[in-house]
Order: sequence, then structure tokens, then C-alpha cells
Amino acid sequence: MRRSDWLQRLTPFDRKLVLLLALVVLVTFLLPFRQEKGQRVVVSSGEKILFVAPLDQDRVVDVPGPLGSTRLQIAGGGVRVLSSPCPKKICIGMGEARNRGDLLACVPNRVVIRIEGGADQKGSYDLLSR
Amino acid sequence: MLGRPQIVILLLLLLAGLLWWRGPGEPQLHSRTALIMGTIVEIKAFSADEVQFDLAADAAFAEMRRVEDLFSSQRPKSEIAQLSAASGPFKVSKETARLLQLGQRIARLSDGAFEMGLGRLIRLWGIETDKPRVPTEQQIREVLERIGPEDLQIDGTIVRKADPELQIDLGGIAKGYAVDRAIDVLGEGGLRSAAINAGGDIKLLGDRNGQPWRIGIQHPRKPGAVLTTLPLADRAVVTSGDYERFFIQDGTRYHHIFDPVSGRPARLCQSVTVVAADATTADALATAAFVLGPIKGLKLLEQQDGVEGLIVTATGEVVQTSGLQRIEP
Repeated sequence: MRRSDWLQRLTPFDRKLVLLLALVVLVTFLLPFRQEKGQRVVVSSGEKILFVAPLDQDRVVDVPGPLGSTRLQIAGGGVRVLSSPCPKKICIGMGEARNRGDLLACVPNRVVIRIEGGADQKGSYDLLSR
Repeated sequence: MLGRPQIVILLLLLLAGLLWWRGPGEPQLHSRTALIMGTIVEIKAFSADEVQFDLAADAAFAEMRRVEDLFSSQRPKSEIAQLSAASGPFKVSKETARLLQLGQRIARLSDGAFEMGLGRLIRLWGIETDKPRVPTEQQIREVLERIGPEDLQIDGTIVRKADPELQIDLGGIAKGYAVDRAIDVLGEGGLRSAAINAGGDIKLLGDRNGQPWRIGIQHPRKPGAVLTTLPLADRAVVTSGDYERFFIQDGTRYHHIFDPVSGRPARLCQSVTVVAADATTADALATAAFVLGPIKGLKLLEQQDGVEGLIVTATGEVVQTSGLQRIEP
């Protein structure tokens, strides 16, 4: 069958259908490569997410835990623990998280802070040994 | 010759086939966190099956909690707390005996720089409490008496303490052991590309889906900054530093890694990173090298087969073993 015969058999509706199917296939393939959303701070306690916010909007937020409120500061593209009701304040000493995958935690107050989203940056890493 | 309906059906079948082919089978990166052993534990793994990952991660966290129950000196029912309380020979599990024997081996290798009998010293300083303090020299001397590589005699599963007052603390080795156990559990759960990070004690199972895992090493004096990155697979990485647990009194910084000779925080390093086949060994060697300092510490690491390391000295210089590979920024 010549190509022109094959095309002549398709009605305008068929051609639109073929085009639509081709678009669906293309979009399906491109979905995994879509641009990552901007970086965000995800604060959780146990399996429960307490708070999500973009990393590029400065703010101070209090998140609750069993000992009281852990105060976080999002500023300049990073997040840090400003104050905490925990006894040893190790979470404050952990400094700032700003890269995808970075983690901070207040173990006694059961608060976990994670940076998600965004693209890999130069010098980025999968895990941090500290 | 194909008619119009057949062509459309063929196209639909082709589409369905393509969607099915690219849906499953592509391993995705999953991660979970939990608070265990006083730190945040993160598991990352590539798996095409999220349920498989969740089951394996649950089992790995449960295993770490079991290890914590066994070795924590803070839990009165743990074997280690009971051993500390015992005044005579004490029978422990085979697992505990093996870990104590490994600790003793590293204590001997490091001429006592790694020491498991510092429980009384740690309590004296109160470094694990909200009220740390600097003890007097006499108080330190009293708790250091009869501490050394021979302060425990292990005969099978029977452990005898040279001094009934000796308090065992496995803080320099137990977390590494828990990480090793957890990665074994992930492997038993069918995962082939996984990583566990327990507050800096890292163990890697396989590679990162065909590439090496990139392990960032914390800069000891710049919070949030990375000193260097190591490309690794199937290895353990542990960093011991003076920057996470410390207190300042009269302008002096006192941290949690004690020199068993002076009974005071070791002063020759800011941080030590050790790469080894297992996290238990890496954990203990990192503590030992930190106490020994850059010259003796680096020599100790160079002498161990399959071990590499990186030391930041007290003055901020970086020295490393000859075989350590780094990703240059």
C-alpha cells in the first residue's frame, strides 16, 4: 500500500484523531521531564505534614510539637530553627538548610524540616554526612 | 489491506502499549524519615514499587529501634545498661558480645583512643543533658581510673568488667551498627539501590541507580556549607565533628568527643570523616581518629584495609588518606 493511498483513506475526523493520539503520546513522554516546582520547606511530625511553604518567601512560622512551639525562619532562600523548647538546642546549632534534600530536625519536639523541589545545583549531593 | 477502523484500532493499541511500557518498571527515588537514636534517620531508595519501598523502610526503622533498645545506655532495660549496673560476670546476647569485641579491637588498634567505658565521664560532664558542666580535674581523674582497652573481658557471651563501677557507653559505635543492620534489612526487602543516613552515619546499598551516590561532607565551621563531596557506592561514611553537641563556658567550647587520657574534649580536630565497608567500623574509627588528631589519626586510617578518611585539623587545614576520591567543586 502506497503512503498516499493510506492517507487518502483517512477522513478529516481520522486525521484529527491521529493528531490527538500523537499529542497524548508526546505529552505522556514529556511529563516526567517537566520542570521541577520551586524549592519548598516541608515541616512534618511523624507521618503528618504540618506546614509547606515556598523557600523564596521570607517568613517566621511556629510549628507545634509535644514540648511546645519550634520557631522557624525562612529567609534568603534558606530555613533555620530560631528557637525551640527542647533542652539541648541541637536543632538551632544545625544551622541552615537551603539545598534540595537538606534536613533539619528537633528530635525531642518531633519536628522534621526538609527542603524539597528545585533542580540539582552545582555541587549538590544526595546525602550529607555531618 | 487495512481499512479505516483497523488503522484507528491499531493506533489505539500502539498508544496503550506505549503508556503501559513507560508506566511501571522505571525506578523512582523514594525517601522516608524517622526520629531514632536521638537523631533524624533518612532512607532513600530507587524502586519501581512504592509498596515494596515502604515495607522495607518500615522494617529498617523497626530494626534500628530494636538496636537502640539493645544498646542505649539511657534505657534501664537495655543489655548495655544492665551490663553497666552489673557488679559481676554478666551474660549478654551474641549480638552484643560481637559488637563489644569489635569495639575492643578498635580500642586496641587506636591505643585506647576509642573507649567504650566512658559512661561515667559522659555523665560527669552532663554533655547529654540540658545542664552540661566542666568538672574538676580530681573528679575527672576519679572516673578515668581503670579505664582502658582491657577494662572489659569478653569470654563468649560472658562479660566481666575490671571495675564494677565501669559504665559502658556505645555512643561511638552503636549508631553505625544500627545503620549497618538497617541497610541489611533494606536488602532483604528486595531493594538494590538504597542509602541510610542517621545523623551523618551513612551506609549505601549499591549505587544511585547506575551512578555513584554523592555524599556531601559538612563543613565544620560553616553551618549549611559543604566541605567536599564524595562519589561512592556500597560503602559507609561517618563523620565525627565538634560542632553539633557542645556548650560554651567562660569563652571555651566543650564538645562531646572525649579523650580517654585527659578526660576532656579532644582538641586536635574539628571533624573526621571515615569511609569504610561498614558503618560500625567507620563510626568507631572516626571517633578514634578524632581523638588521636591529624597525624596519628591519619596513620591509623591509612593502616586499615579498605578505609579512607578526611580530617579537618583544629586550625582548619584539610588532610586526607591517599586513596580518597573527591568531587572537586
